[in-house]
Amino acid sequence: MWIRQTVICASVIVLAVMLQLTLLSRLGLPGATPDLVVVCVVALALAYGPLTGAVVGFAAGLVIGFTPPAGGVIGIQALIFLVIGFLTGAVVDPRDRTVPVLMGLVGLSTGAATLAYAVLIAGFGGNQVAWDAVPALVLTSSLYGLILAPVVVPTISWLVRRVTPEIAS
Amino acid sequence: MLSRETQVMLNQRTRIILAVLIIIALTFTILDLRGGKGPFSSVRSVVSSALGGVQVAASVIVSPITGVGSWWGTWGDQRARIAELESGNATLQDALVRSAEDRARADGLDQLLRVAGVGRYRIVPAEVIAVEPAQDFSWTVTIDAGRDDGLLADMTVINGQGLIGRILSTTKTTATVVLIVDVSSAVGARVAGTEEIGILSGTGRQDSLEFQTLDPLASLKSGQALVTFGSRSGRPYAPGIPIGEVVGVSGTAGQLTRIATVRPFADVSQLSIVGVVIRPPREDPRDSVLPSPPATTTDASALASPSPSGVDDGASPAPTASTKPKKEKAAKPVPSPTPSAGTSASSESN
Repeated sequence: MWIRQTVICASVIVLAVMLQLTLLSRLGLPGATPDLVVVCVVALALAYGPLTGAVVGFAAGLVIGFTPPAGGVIGIQALIFLVIGFLTGAVVDPRDRTVPVLMGLVGLSTGAATLAYAVLIAGFGGNQVAWDAVPALVLTSSLYGLILAPVVVPTISWLVRRVTPEIAS
Repeated sequence: MLSRETQVMLNQRTRIILAVLIIIALTFTILDLRGGKGPFSSVRSVVSSALGGVQVAASVIVSPITGVGSWWGTWGDQRARIAELESGNATLQDALVRSAEDRARADGLDQLLRVAGVGRYRIVPAEVIAVEPAQDFSWTVTIDAGRDDGLLADMTVINGQGLIGRILSTTKTTATVVLIVDVSSAVGARVAGTEEIGILSGTGRQDSLEFQTLDPLASLKSGQALVTFGSRSGRPYAPGIPIGEVVGVSGTAGQLTRIATVRPFADVSQLSIVGVVIRPPREDPRDSVLPSPPATTTDASALASPSPSGVDDGASPAPTASTKPKKEKAAKPVPSPTPSAGTSASSESN
């Protein structure tokens, strides 16, 4: 079972990274780029629980760090996504998954990921953060997360139930 | 909820796995931030080669969606157009989207060829296939040309409007470009029509650059255009490429340096067709490539931007400041196409 679980997690993450870098970031939307990867990490963490969520988040952070154009700092996103995956899986009650809760959760996660990245990169001594742009980026990132959530999370839940039906959640 | 949570928290195995992952992430972060090429360059190039191919394919699939650069800018028009298209049949719709995309691409290529032709740059055209998300504070893009097309690190990347950036790294089929607006970017620039030189740094914002003149007494005015100063053998930057125009000057004459805000000619948030300069011209094109051309160009086919430039081909100065952009003008004395062998700096230009 865990092989199927690994395969589905890996393909969802790689697909999300590809879509994010080749399509979403080129659309020229105002503010941040829709953070599809975070949405997918949250969705997988909801389906598989905190430990898998953390591992998936970590892996997703590394994949996006190594995929060209690879402008970010490797490791920071892995750390942030790991925390997001773990907290999502640990804190959210599986029975309490109405659409508004999901949207709020995802919006919070994408906004927090953007903010945490800026804070961490500055904390580690990077100088590239344009702070006057950060509020708008956090806000738009949350907004795009809210919009993506009702589409992406149910899709991934459905996929998870199809591929690994023994996960009852 | 609580039971599940506490159960998870107390699980020894979970805690060990989490701790290991966090330590790995922190180690990677610190190693990567140490700068230089770092231990990840080889891993990066392997992953780049593997995923670059996927990106090229993905880019082909999504190109009808991203190809028309003005979609999001003219949302209202698009809605009207979509309504109109819905009345037509699917074939027509597809053909229409594709032809619009082809037109946009042809226009981009036309402008690029004009710049390359006027400045006599030998270029390899390429298309942007991936862009770093805005929230990463890093202005880098991937293009679909690589080592197989003759690209090397530090080559200049331009488009029909002007300078875009330089190549950071290459794989066989793709290359990563650092845009001029990235904070790590520094370009040696010259004020068109004058001999004022300075360093143009990225600010991380897409519409502003910071220009610092080497001469503290330099007079800068809004509206003056900047061109690249050029490096030895054209890497990292070939000479004479339009960069942008001055929109504001801060600092008064007499201070150690004067800083001007510069708006780049190229819109780096909407990049599609770009060109990589694989060989710089034998002679510095000086200001001839700028949009509103002085005497040398015959075909004035561009947006008019005020560039106070005469073609001052005579008496070039010999700046002694030892900055990064080395001087290379009138590089090759004989028309022998050997791109290496940089000649001695500061010879006369014509």
